[in-house]
Amino acid sequence: MIDLKELILSKDNLYPFLRKLTKDARLVAPVKNEYGDTLFSEIDDIDKTKIDLENQPQTSLKPFFLPQQETLAEYNIVKGDYNFTPPEPAQATIFFGVRSCDLTALLYMDLIFSKPTKDATYYDRRNNSLIITLGCNQPFDNCFCEATGSGPYMEYGYSLQFIDLGDRYFVSAGRRKGADLLEKWGYFFREVQEEDQKRRYQLLLEARGQFNRNIQVDHACQKLQKETVSEEIWEKLSSRCYDCGGCAYVCPTCTCFSVDDKPQDSTSGIRIRTWDACTSSGFTRMAGGHNPVNRNKHALKRRFLHKLKHDYESHGKASCTGCGRCVNICFGGVDITTFIDLFTKQETS
Amino acid sequence: MNKNFIPALALIRNIIKENEQISSFSLELTDKTIPFTFLPGQFLMLSVPHCGEAAISISSSPNTLPLITLSIRKAGELTEAIHKMKKGDMVGLRGPFGKPFPMETFANSDLLIVAGGIGLAPLKSVIDSCLYNSTLEEDAVRNITLLYGSRSPSDIAFKQAIKSWQEQGVDCRLTVDEKDDTWKGHVGLVTNLLTDCTMTSSTKAIVCGPPIMIRFVIEQLSAMGCDDNSIFTTLERHMKCGIGICGHCHLDGKLICMDGPVFNLSQLKKMDVTEFAR
Repeated sequence: MIDLKELILSKDNLYPFLRKLTKDARLVAPVKNEYGDTLFSEIDDIDKTKIDLENQPQTSLKPFFLPQQETLAEYNIVKGDYNFTPPEPAQATIFFGVRSCDLTALLYMDLIFSKPTKDATYYDRRNNSLIITLGCNQPFDNCFCEATGSGPYMEYGYSLQFIDLGDRYFVSAGRRKGADLLEKWGYFFREVQEEDQKRRYQLLLEARGQFNRNIQVDHACQKLQKETVSEEIWEKLSSRCYDCGGCAYVCPTCTCFSVDDKPQDSTSGIRIRTWDACTSSGFTRMAGGHNPVNRNKHALKRRFLHKLKHDYESHGKASCTGCGRCVNICFGGVDITTFIDLFTKQETS
Repeated sequence: MNKNFIPALALIRNIIKENEQISSFSLELTDKTIPFTFLPGQFLMLSVPHCGEAAISISSSPNTLPLITLSIRKAGELTEAIHKMKKGDMVGLRGPFGKPFPMETFANSDLLIVAGGIGLAPLKSVIDSCLYNSTLEEDAVRNITLLYGSRSPSDIAFKQAIKSWQEQGVDCRLTVDEKDDTWKGHVGLVTNLLTDCTMTSSTKAIVCGPPIMIRFVIEQLSAMGCDDNSIFTTLERHMKCGIGICGHCHLDGKLICMDGPVFNLSQLKKMDVTEFAR
């Protein structure tokens, strides 16, 4: 990727720059809340908020584009008439401090929500968004984005990418919208010098050497194209899955959903879209009770095969971005890395 | 009519009670300017006020448009609710979705339809459409045989349609799992009726019913020499969108709503069979 523009921003100028951005759009960035959880949050007052760029946000950008619950339409039933009204249009939003894994996930969601036609509410939000990423100089404990080809720095897809060089950020514009911002607020920035380029490259190499986990993602994907997973592995994993849906909820690429109507009173209601997960028993159960999936054996089969086999087949890349959130959340210890370890060790039949 | 999952509105024009559990609802879109057409085997997402949506296959033939008929068995909240609705009430429709039966390949073939219970609904669209097209010589199927299984004589649905098919020369053979005093016909599984059928190189078989029935009928058809590309079925799955994004109907890399619901046996054989007829 050849960047449209590269500049240096002194850390002293970060908040003044962001303050300017909030004049035209809502700003969302990682903020540590009173319970110590770092979450992507809407920032009302930049001067009273400390953006947390130290910790990995526990949530991804998913909730901002596919909310856990969103209203797709309101309906009214009056005197036999049955009418639907679409929701208000989305607000322009700038996302700051987004890690490479989460932008990779968003680019994957773009694919999902563009077939067969562009999903109205998703693309309304997406078209009104601008993403500023922050390259990871220090991977977090359970991260393995290098194995999924989605980090530690982003190579495309961002409007702006920030790389922390210590007292300053190396800022690259990957998309027109980002380059326009650098142009507009040029007086906060200085030109890139050779030393900045060298430092950036050195930090990338160092970051690549600091992963704790060595997960054989590509090997697993390729092996899945040729071999079936033994029933023993599926059963072993399913026996430790407690149907909590945590993995799917924190996963930035789990986009399955349900659509339901929620009556507000006898004559009106809302059509809502909510997150759903293939790991839950109700996901495939049909009216009348028949369920084509045997949960005791295959609770996790869809989830892992979708990400590592089917998506690899259709897009040439797994739809796991190595963010490690499912590793952090699964109390049964049956996250995707457990599956990959078991399967890559499965003897070739 | 799909943006934001907002349906087009439709009026219930007619209701036929097929049996205690199943009724056929003939619907007509209120906005006549919406271009709407479909092919046998496709399905719609039906909205019933306050109940959300459900995927329902179309049981009528395209030639009866602008009327669209959905034959619905009481199975849950939404289906119970539409059974309480009356002529003139309003519902919503999105679609049509899914791949239809390859009707063009049925020309000059011997059509063998094997159905169980409500499974006859999507196949009724095929039969009606073939009979309508039989007036156009080049598109005609040679003959149609229907094998239809029901639990008991009172569970036999689509009686009116079956009568009309018989009048038009369709060989309709019915069976029930359990007989009562009124029943003089065949008793036993629908697979028993199959043994009396002869397969020709022009036989095209279409199967729909409970998953277990589909499995055994397909096995038997194969054993009787029917070619994998000439055996079709249509699968039912829990669905929420109809357009390939909600994930509910995923089956081993395929989406029933987009890649199906109609599949031939060679396509099915490439999929994970443990989930296919459980």
